[in-house]
Amino acid sequence: MIVGSWVCLLAPLAGALLITLAGTHISRSTAAWISTGSVFVGFAGALVAFIQVAGESAEERSHLSTAYTWLGIGQFEVPMQILVDPVSLVMMMIITGVGGLIVWYSVGYMKGEDEERRYFAYMAFFVFSMLMLVMGGNLLLLLVGWGLVGLASYLLIGFYHDRPEAIAAAKKAFIMNAIGDAAMALGFFLLISKTGTLSYSENFEIASSGQLPTSTMNLIALGLLVGAIAKSAQLPLHTWLPDAMEGPTPVSALIHAATMVTAGVYLIVRTHEIFEAAPNVQHLAAIIGGVTIIVAGVIALVQWDIKRVIAYSTMSQIGYMFLAAGIGSYGYAMFHLFTHAFFKALLFLAAGVIIHHLAGEQDVRKMGGLKSVMPYTHAVFLIGALALAGIPPLSGFWSKDGIISAALADGGALGFTLVALGLVGALLTGAYTFRLYYLVFHGEPSDLVLEHAGGHGAGHAHGAESAAGHDEHGHGEGPFSMLIPVGVLAVFSTVAGFLVIPGLWEPFLHWIDSVAEPLVIATVAQDYMTSAIAVLLAGTGIWLARSAFREGEDLVPQGRLRTILEHKLYFDELYDALFSRPSQLAANLLREKVEEPIIQDSLGEIGDRVREAGSGTARLQTGLLRSYALAIAVSVVILVVVFMAVR
Amino acid sequence: MGNVLVWVIWILAALACVGSGIAVISFTNPFYSALALIGNLASLAVLFLLASAEFVAAAQILVYAGAVMVMFLFVIAYLGGRADAPFAGGPQWLQLGAFVSGAAIMIAVIVALITKASGGLSDSADIERSFGSPAEIGRLFLTDHLLAFEITSVVLLIAAIGGVVLATKTEAEDDDS
Amino acid sequence: MGPGTTWYIAVAAILFGIGTIGVILRRSPLIVLLSLEIMLNSSNLALVGFSRHFGTVDGQIFAICVMAVAAAEVVLGLGLIVAFTRRNMPLDVDAAMELRG
Repeated sequence: MIVGSWVCLLAPLAGALLITLAGTHISRSTAAWISTGSVFVGFAGALVAFIQVAGESAEERSHLSTAYTWLGIGQFEVPMQILVDPVSLVMMMIITGVGGLIVWYSVGYMKGEDEERRYFAYMAFFVFSMLMLVMGGNLLLLLVGWGLVGLASYLLIGFYHDRPEAIAAAKKAFIMNAIGDAAMALGFFLLISKTGTLSYSENFEIASSGQLPTSTMNLIALGLLVGAIAKSAQLPLHTWLPDAMEGPTPVSALIHAATMVTAGVYLIVRTHEIFEAAPNVQHLAAIIGGVTIIVAGVIALVQWDIKRVIAYSTMSQIGYMFLAAGIGSYGYAMFHLFTHAFFKALLFLAAGVIIHHLAGEQDVRKMGGLKSVMPYTHAVFLIGALALAGIPPLSGFWSKDGIISAALADGGALGFTLVALGLVGALLTGAYTFRLYYLVFHGEPSDLVLEHAGGHGAGHAHGAESAAGHDEHGHGEGPFSMLIPVGVLAVFSTVAGFLVIPGLWEPFLHWIDSVAEPLVIATVAQDYMTSAIAVLLAGTGIWLARSAFREGEDLVPQGRLRTILEHKLYFDELYDALFSRPSQLAANLLREKVEEPIIQDSLGEIGDRVREAGSGTARLQTGLLRSYALAIAVSVVILVVVFMAVR
Repeated sequence: MGNVLVWVIWILAALACVGSGIAVISFTNPFYSALALIGNLASLAVLFLLASAEFVAAAQILVYAGAVMVMFLFVIAYLGGRADAPFAGGPQWLQLGAFVSGAAIMIAVIVALITKASGGLSDSADIERSFGSPAEIGRLFLTDHLLAFEITSVVLLIAAIGGVVLATKTEAEDDDS
Repeated sequence: MGPGTTWYIAVAAILFGIGTIGVILRRSPLIVLLSLEIMLNSSNLALVGFSRHFGTVDGQIFAICVMAVAAAEVVLGLGLIVAFTRRNMPLDVDAAMELRG
């Protein structure tokens, strides 16, 4: 199990290093397969570890394995250690399993792209960093993984570095993440300064024992929460996620749906003792999650880019996870993370198949009637959409409704507010998801679709390696390397939900419980009641979308409301005015007032003075013999006087 | 009576020294300066004699005044009119500096003599008759100071060679003169 | 008995000062050389004076060596002056500002 875990962590790193070092000596497809293979090897390791840990009893399931001492300064030591416990195992399997499928998918999707090898190296590197984050055995390694993941995200969003929008998006993502990183680091510094240790268990013991004052715990938890919000794109640090869609679609699937954005949820679950010691902050997390559900949901109603709709959907679903973690229902938070990984990745990859088929078109208004042209994709997309909307018996139903019922069980003003938010969210989810579905797949085939309907590869320009390099095409929709992972994800989206059937069989919840005891547990009756209401609302949303589509109208009519939504509630403009403009002003001001006159000119001054001193001294070199003789005579006089004075 | 004579001769010789020294640096005609220097050397020889350094005095006359100064006079004669040395200008501060530094050295040493060293320099040692005789000097040259003796001869050799090198006409000069 | 050692040293100092003035003041290399001779002789006088004071002959030995070296130096100095005239350069120390090689 230890071996399996280390293999899981190191295989993707080895893959990334291998591709980087081999450079152009290996072919592109070799690089692609190295990357895919290394991630799947990681999955095998995680699976082995899981099987072994599953066989142990609940108390023994936490293992800390140290490789060597990474930093050692006197008494202070930071070991390179990994923590293998139920929560990290779930994350490991998701990251390597779904990640492996996505990297496999990219073999076909990215074929013929300009710098494929770089892409695959980055993907493997990302998988490694994410694993480092979830497997890190102490606070410092968690921070290391956190930062590396931010870096990988930046590199992959800005992969198409010729496009200025991509570069801007990468910077935006990195900067907003950096805000979160800074806050989180400050929180950790405060914690470590009070507890004096980096290890998880010691810190959590001290946190839960109440030794530290609540104000300190509040600050620490707040710092962690800000970090989680930034990484998971919750309000108010959410504006980078839609822009991050500039990256290739598999990147969006892996990083911005299945794994990186869920790191915030993982953080809260991992450090839940700290949050429990600061209940106000924990409730704040739940409220932020709830608000994000609604805000993201309504913005998604007016988006025309297929990827952006799915991105806002991600934001909304992570809001559900934050809601769950915020009220203490950690099991359901992780469960929703688990199912969400499958159907969200599925939706992104299916969208990718469509985009790939239509030679890069992402605007939904140019699509339509793809149902007959791409039946396989239509089927899997429908499965994903139903799972997302929470229609039984697909996976989303089991996880999402568990969250809402936990909120109901929590009770009180907070609990009921959250229930309302969650239910409205269900309605919105059904609406925007199926608006997308109808716009893309139903109706008359658009001109673009007819153009590409003659099967894949007919009259397309696919980079340097055209028709000769393509894989076998299944159903003419795309290469097998793309279609098979999509199918696998569809299967999981269907069945993964059955790991938690309330009242009957809840192995997933029990698995997580050994690490993080839930604060609220809903009764079976509450569960089924909320499920019924939620399904009803989701169905209403679907029906609304369908009727709007049938009548050729938008769900949100033109007008003030629509304009606000189209501008994403003006968050970008707000941040621009609040932060971007003032800092540019300040920078320019500093440049004019401080840097140029003082720093640059002072350097020039130094040069001038030195030159003056030099030319002054040069005047001693008269060239006159006699002046040198005079100098010697004068020094003799001085020496004589000095000797006389001294002796 | 003898003492007074010694004093008188001493003072005369010292005055002659200083006077001829001033003469050396003041004449514009280098020939006259060279002659003044010969006078200087002679007065110095007298002073040497009064200090019981007979051999040094003799060497001074023979070598310095006899050989070196004659060489000087030869060159001045060879140079003829070109050797004239008027008191032409030069920077003011240089001229001033010359006087100042010269005066400073004189004053500094004399002040040092009077204030600090007069105690230590009051009684001279007793000497025998052979003090300063050629025999004594020769003996020391060949025993205690052999190295100095040999090196000095090497220096003279090198100077002779150097003189020949400097005097050799090169190709380029054949056309000039 | 004659004047004491102090007098000898005093005269030597005066001569040295005169020599220094001559070296720095005059522009003709010939006069400069002559002044240098004065300076060397003044140091000879001081040496002899001290030798008389301490009763050892070493000072006179040193004086003889100085004389030999001075002679050698005069040879070379005069050679230089002749070289100046050979190259039609003015016999002026101030003119020798950019000597090369």
